Amino acid sequence: MEELIIELKEKIIEALNLEEMTPEEIEDDAPLFGEGLGLDSIDALELIVLLEKNYGIKLANPAEGKAIFKSVATIADYVSKNRKK
Amino acid sequence: MKNVVITGEGIVSAIGCDKASVLKSLLEGRTGIGEMKHLRSSHHELPVGEVDLSNDEMRQMLGIGPEVLISRSSLMGLIAIRQALVDSGELRTESLEFATAIPEAERVILISGTTVGGMDLTEEYFDSFEKSDDHLDCLRIHDCGSSTKQMAEMMGFADCATLSTACSSAANALILGANLIKTGQADVVVAGGTEALTRFHLNGFHALMILDEQPCRPFDEGRAGLNLGEGAAFVVMESEEHARQRGAEIHAWLSGYGNACDAFHQTASSENGEGAYLAMKEALEMAQLSPSQIDYVNAHGTGTPNNDASESAALKRIFEDKMPRVSSTKSFTGHTTSASGSIESVICLLAMQHHFVPANLGWQHQMAEGITPTMGETNCKVEHVMCNSFGFGGNDSSLVFSRSEECGVRSEKCLRQNSSTSEAAKSMTTMIELSRVEITSEDQLSEIREFVKPLEARRMGKIMKSSLLSSLKALKQAGIETPDAIITATSLGCLEFSENLLRQLSENGEQMLSPTWFMQSTHNTIGSNIAIRTHCHGYNVTYTQEKKSLEWALRDAQILLATGKAKTVLVGLHEEVTPFWNSLLRRTENGELRTERYDYPPSDYNIYSTAMVLTCGK
Repeated sequence: MEELIIELKEKIIEALNLEEMTPEEIEDDAPLFGEGLGLDSIDALELIVLLEKNYGIKLANPAEGKAIFKSVATIADYVSKNRKK
Repeated sequence: MKNVVITGEGIVSAIGCDKASVLKSLLEGRTGIGEMKHLRSSHHELPVGEVDLSNDEMRQMLGIGPEVLISRSSLMGLIAIRQALVDSGELRTESLEFATAIPEAERVILISGTTVGGMDLTEEYFDSFEKSDDHLDCLRIHDCGSSTKQMAEMMGFADCATLSTACSSAANALILGANLIKTGQADVVVAGGTEALTRFHLNGFHALMILDEQPCRPFDEGRAGLNLGEGAAFVVMESEEHARQRGAEIHAWLSGYGNACDAFHQTASSENGEGAYLAMKEALEMAQLSPSQIDYVNAHGTGTPNNDASESAALKRIFEDKMPRVSSTKSFTGHTTSASGSIESVICLLAMQHHFVPANLGWQHQMAEGITPTMGETNCKVEHVMCNSFGFGGNDSSLVFSRSEECGVRSEKCLRQNSSTSEAAKSMTTMIELSRVEITSEDQLSEIREFVKPLEARRMGKIMKSSLLSSLKALKQAGIETPDAIITATSLGCLEFSENLLRQLSENGEQMLSPTWFMQSTHNTIGSNIAIRTHCHGYNVTYTQEKKSLEWALRDAQILLATGKAKTVLVGLHEEVTPFWNSLLRRTENGELRTERYDYPPSDYNIYSTAMVLTCGK
């Protein structure tokens, strides 16, 4: 899990162009949207692409993303349970 | 100031390729949305509103041989333009006699709204560009301005302009047309829009996850997105005086129009529909109509959860408890994006002429906080109609058409009161430049940090950064926080992200495309980004007309200043190129295409921005 979390942080930084951030700066449980990192709906769509590209997970409805993308920890949890690659 | 009337209409859409067949489909409640037939895409699960004509069939209708390189958008556009001219009695012959179709004595200008331009050809041949020169010719008609110019030259128009504000492009084309007529700069204008389906934007909308796999259900509680459509529609606009002089039949008056910016988000509309509300309010005010006089609203109504909620909120703010009949005819045609403003205007004109209101197909369940659309009515009075078109980035426009002369008289009266307006319009030479900032190198872009947090700038491509930075600096120099209007000029638009998306399509196929790249591939993303940062809800349009893009932007700024619609206007010319694009241009006849078509960026620059704050003498 620890490894997956670091991998996810790196991929998120790359996909969302968070050039100035390092994986260490993103806390596992910190909220990614709104008050936390300040991501928005377009980032959510990029995260959906990220899940499909890297883990073969397809989300049909962007609304599903809400619970999954709460924090890096929730993404890691979802990925570990649903990954196809 | 002159009254603007409509004297001819032409339409090509999924529910018919002329006015009569569109009328029939509307009255019969027959949708044109169905399985893809002409677009070569793997996404057959996505229903679309296609024009049921192949490119070859359209060439045949127009008498255009295979030796002429022409995009699907232009083919549809030419058919609609020809119909409109024939309808208004302006075309000399029924057959398309290229270059002599329009009587020489008239200063007829073609104004088209498009975002796709020649993208259908570019995406078809993109893979071949690296290897061979065989299809490089299609770059000549790739950009929106070139594709309009091709139509204009074929038909013999005196001049042309292209508006590219995504899904409100055609509505803004009609607004420019009206302003040119009112200020005496044109006798007759043919205005509208054309947009063919492409893999590029089908996949782009798909990446934004706003396409429904079922036929769309605008304003329904269970709505789940839009269906893309394609088509073209153009109207012949002229001053009432001109129409009467030549004995033309007046079909309707364009009695009011409004353009405002939501200035909220690149792809989402605000909760209270501020931009939509402001556009509708302005249109009603210009028409001097009270909301209760509107008999029908053709809503933007895309069928996405966000649009329909936001538009409902805006409609309720305008009409309160006197909601007129509202429907979205995108349930018939699909969302024809840049052409939707004119396609739906023609539908409104048909409704007025034939005393009916088209249905909002697919609606079943009342949406919470939503308006209740009409399921269609016949034999009803339709005197004044409103037609809404909203684009990405919150480029929102609303048009009001009136059937009776009454409103013409009314607006004349109102204009007499504002006689200074036309006086001002006559002497349109008093623009004063308060500031000007130029950016010519990528090195300068790091200065953006002074104005925008890194988190907020991280998604911006270089043209987004240079346009925003030059604009914010120019505004700062002029001592203005929020301009009254923002007018953007760009001949090529967001070339880098468009190229990225084309490359992704070519490498990955039609899957897992970046929503960010698509979102920043439309021309109007530049101007709306500036509006969001400067909280500017005022007039906001984007011109793309090769070397003349800036000229048109300045001309429009002059109209705004002269007619008192704005006191300060931010005008910018923004261009970017990529190494790949430059290499392609170098291969086309020794780079001749570049100097012929584009001024900027100069060949050794990758980025060029110039932003200026303009005001009028007073």
